[in-house]
Amino acid sequence: MSVVDSPSAPPAQQPPARVPAGGRARRKRRSATSGGFAPLVLTLPALLLLAGLLGYPLVRMVVLSFQSLGLRQLFGDLPATDVGLDNYTKIFTDETFYLVVARTVGFTVVSVLATVLLGLGVALLMRRVAAGVRIAMIVAMMFVWAMPQLVATQTFRWLVDSDFGVLNYLIDLLPGVDFANHSWFADPIQGWTVITTIVVWAGIPFIAITLNAGLTQVPKELLEAAVVDGASAWQTLRSVTLPILKPLMIIVTTLSVIWNFGLFTQVWVVRNGRPEDEYQVLATWAYSTAFKNNNYGLGSAIAVVTVLLLLGVMAFYMRQMFKIGDVD
Amino acid sequence: MKRRIAVAATLAATLIGAAACGSNSDSSDTPDAAASVNGAGKTIKVWLMVDAQSGWPEVVKQANERFTQATGAQVQVDYQQWTDHLAKLDTTLAGSDVPDVVELGNTEMPKYVFNGAFAPLDKSQFENSAQWLTGLSAPCELDGKTYCVPYYAGARVLLYRTDLFSKAGLTAPKTYDDVISAAKALKQKNGSDKQFSAFYMPGKYWYAAMAWVHGNGGEIAKKDGDKWVGALSEPGAQTGLTKWAELAKTYSSGDPTKDENDQDAVYAQGKSGMLYGNGWELGAVQEQPKDPNDPASAKVKTKVNGKVATAPMPGIPSFLGGSDVAVTAKSTNADLAAKWAQIFTDAKSQEGLIAKGVLPNATSLLDKAAAIKGNEATAQAAKETWFVPMAPKWSDVESANVLQNMLASIATGKATVPDAAKAADAKINEILNAS
Repeated sequence: MSVVDSPSAPPAQQPPARVPAGGRARRKRRSATSGGFAPLVLTLPALLLLAGLLGYPLVRMVVLSFQSLGLRQLFGDLPATDVGLDNYTKIFTDETFYLVVARTVGFTVVSVLATVLLGLGVALLMRRVAAGVRIAMIVAMMFVWAMPQLVATQTFRWLVDSDFGVLNYLIDLLPGVDFANHSWFADPIQGWTVITTIVVWAGIPFIAITLNAGLTQVPKELLEAAVVDGASAWQTLRSVTLPILKPLMIIVTTLSVIWNFGLFTQVWVVRNGRPEDEYQVLATWAYSTAFKNNNYGLGSAIAVVTVLLLLGVMAFYMRQMFKIGDVD
Repeated sequence: MKRRIAVAATLAATLIGAAACGSNSDSSDTPDAAASVNGAGKTIKVWLMVDAQSGWPEVVKQANERFTQATGAQVQVDYQQWTDHLAKLDTTLAGSDVPDVVELGNTEMPKYVFNGAFAPLDKSQFENSAQWLTGLSAPCELDGKTYCVPYYAGARVLLYRTDLFSKAGLTAPKTYDDVISAAKALKQKNGSDKQFSAFYMPGKYWYAAMAWVHGNGGEIAKKDGDKWVGALSEPGAQTGLTKWAELAKTYSSGDPTKDENDQDAVYAQGKSGMLYGNGWELGAVQEQPKDPNDPASAKVKTKVNGKVATAPMPGIPSFLGGSDVAVTAKSTNADLAAKWAQIFTDAKSQEGLIAKGVLPNATSLLDKAAAIKGNEATAQAAKETWFVPMAPKWSDVESANVLQNMLASIATGKATVPDAAKAADAKINEILNAS
């Protein structure tokens, strides 16, 4: 993820033109239409790969969402039957759908807010500590970032295990508190707190490191001027730092929303592959419908609806990207 | 030019005709276990569940050796986990590289038999087939044909701590009320330890809860004409669920949202008085593999070694659990696969299973099983059992966790027994009658 230049920073340098030493060399103009078909040809391998790995399954999934496919057809190598909009009607008339969407949206809002605020806090802290401490923080966060989701979730699951977990043992040591064998997942609020903690814990490194890079672009002169004018730390943050950081914050928030909306691994692992109704989110619900109930058409329809819901957020992100590109 | 086209066309037509006339391996042919096939250089793929790997690896080994001796073919056994083996099987059977033999739980069989996953077999080629336990063979039958072979059965019994019982002056319970008074006495003596459970009953243990339902005259669902109707709100089922809830809420300190998968490990910690489990769990609670990731590693004794005994659970019929093995319809080595299934389920292999405290697949062998020390309770329990509703969509009810979620909501106190049962009945009606 490259550092994004803020508007008030010195104007971005033009990317150095590839000038071969000596000889006739044409400076590449910055316009995208110059250079003929060369750029298109050069991106073709990447585009083909994307089309094959992402595009083809996506198209197949959309087609499947208008069909009905069950085990009998799979085992007998029979084709799927077309049912038009039946799957979509089933989804939109099912009360479960609205509950699941509400739960997914609720979780996304809470987890993204927590991740971004805590990430911003960590980034601000990183700017103020000594270089050695900052490096130690970055290294620690890199380890967290590098840990695979599945491994991290299993570890957290063991921490909160009702019979053998360390967390229950420690809390139980407090006088007057009875936490032996406490089940963290009997009450969905507590269960969701655990899941949100895992997701936020894993999401902070990316946010913190990206925002830290963004904070380096805040000109020192502005900050010094604010101090001279008598602004408190809060006012400096609100009026100087955040406005400069805004485009980056918006991008980082949008990415977090997109990632957290598709929550699957943490819920699945923490509930041992059988999430109760109060733990179902869109991704787990689509998977359960497709692979546990073997209703592949309906599962695909749910997945398509999830994608459409996210497209709105995506549009916002794309617009922001273009806006930043245009500033220079 | 025209002549060349004509010649080419004729050749093409001939070739197509020849290809059409050639016989292809008809997948609807019944695999013949008695056929003498030279399997040299061939390997058949077998999917077994992890229970065989940890419980009776010698049985698998001797079956493989006898098979290789008889046919010259090798066997590759892949052990599957209960949590994801169905999803794995669905995707594998949709392709062309399929395993030749698959083990499935007897409650999972009907769905796959109904959807054409397995090849029909000749019942007479399998030993003791006339005396197969109905709970294992009924899921295999469809339209007069047999699609799988019973493998082993399990019946659940009461496991209790002999040392705690003698300290409290108790003997093995003979009636259900004895069980409750024993639980009360144990709780009184040991209740100061907050982690102690007089009767460890996980909240999602539906095999146990449904046994209680059946023991009190209820059932899960019944067929009303053409439709299936959930019967958990009937008085018998309600009594059973209430009695079960008493154990789960009052006498168990276990996690009400857990199922019985790690109940052996919990019981082995030594903080539980009684347990409701399969006969072979008697061994599992007293010995554990040293390396939990390697089931073949040496066994170490647990805290409760030598202090556990079994007794039939009074007043509660056991669920006849167990597994069947089947030959896949798409298998390219169907005859070899049938032969392996025949060897794996014959009397000699069953002897190996009986020695491990597992119940055999035929009633004629049950008395032999009762003769093994420690197996008396399970063999006795196998004589009175219940089974899930024989609906083609029953395993969808299991995948949707309808019963587990109902029980968890009762055990956590989130719903009363009547309310939870009513919601579960509605879901069962919806799933079993879905088209």
